[in-house]
Amino acid sequence: MADQGLAGADEARARAGDARVGKKLAAEVSPPLEQFVVKPLVPIHIGGLDLSYTNAALLMTIVVALIMVLLLVPTRRAALVPTRLQSVAELAYEFVANMVRENVGHDGFEYFPLVFSIFMFILFANFIGLIPYSFTITGQIAVTFGLAIFVFVLVTIIGVVRHGFHFLHLFFPPGAPVFMAPVLVPIEIISYLSRPVSLGIRLFANMMAGHTMMAVFAGFTITLGLFGFLPIAINVAMFALEIIVCALQAYVFTILTCLYLRDAIHLH
Amino acid sequence: MSDSEPPDPLRQLSDDLDQARLRADPANAPGRGDITTGGNALGFGLRIGIELVAALIVGVGIGWLADRYIGTRPWGILLGFFLGSAAGIINVFRAVQNMGGGGPGAGRRG
Repeated sequence: MADQGLAGADEARARAGDARVGKKLAAEVSPPLEQFVVKPLVPIHIGGLDLSYTNAALLMTIVVALIMVLLLVPTRRAALVPTRLQSVAELAYEFVANMVRENVGHDGFEYFPLVFSIFMFILFANFIGLIPYSFTITGQIAVTFGLAIFVFVLVTIIGVVRHGFHFLHLFFPPGAPVFMAPVLVPIEIISYLSRPVSLGIRLFANMMAGHTMMAVFAGFTITLGLFGFLPIAINVAMFALEIIVCALQAYVFTILTCLYLRDAIHLH
Repeated sequence: MSDSEPPDPLRQLSDDLDQARLRADPANAPGRGDITTGGNALGFGLRIGIELVAALIVGVGIGWLADRYIGTRPWGILLGFFLGSAAGIINVFRAVQNMGGGGPGAGRRG
């Protein structure tokens, strides 16, 4: 609902920025933040809600479809000696399975489908965002924070269901003197509440910063004219870095999900 | 599909693999030392910086909300700032504790 208004405001601001850049360049250099604008593709308004099918929603559909293709097509005719696609799917499975086994433990393996879904979704969203003219859904704080809050609430529920009242021991380190409780408990609670914040902001900030930098350097290419090859060289290097960051941020988000699950299952 | 039932040697192999996994896993499970090797180290480094800031945001945020809705004007945000800083340092401390290949459960201590 707020997306459309935000998008409109952003576009207006973008146009104002363009006009200020100068008459010559206004038509050529697009503002670096324009790539993050959420545009409605199929407007759907139900009641007072704006449920439009946006470009972000389209990209999410593509991401999920691609994951389904990667995982379902090769496993339909699974062979003992895997084909290329099947070995990619098996590689992804083994990677996440090992991560869950090592970081959560055997009793946490029932949460493997959740962890695997999160990993694949973020990984594919990150990489598809790198394709020119596509859209980076993990560069939207609504998406990353939504994922983080989802993980946080789920982990808390798992902890409470598994340990009941004992779960509150997470907020008071064992062995600490009781008179320290008024200081320690608020600190522990803040530390606990900071988990979804750090989880969401890390992914969002990494994706958005990288893509903005690339757009800025691409803009320099046009304004520098003859020396435009310099920003291009930088962008080639940046693209390599972005590929690392994309895989790494998906990995970091997943491994932190695993660590939080371990905390909820085993407590301290 | 016309899946021919797996011949005996394959099932034998599968059982062997399962047993080998079971045998290998207890040795593997506590060894979380590889979190700092290779590309993982970079991810680990990137992780720490934001831990500090996130706790500060939460602390100051709670303080600000308290100031606004309970009316504890200057004190909420002040207290929130200090508690948030402490929580941030604890976050970083805990994250770093997992490094250096400490023994099993080295990072588990609160």
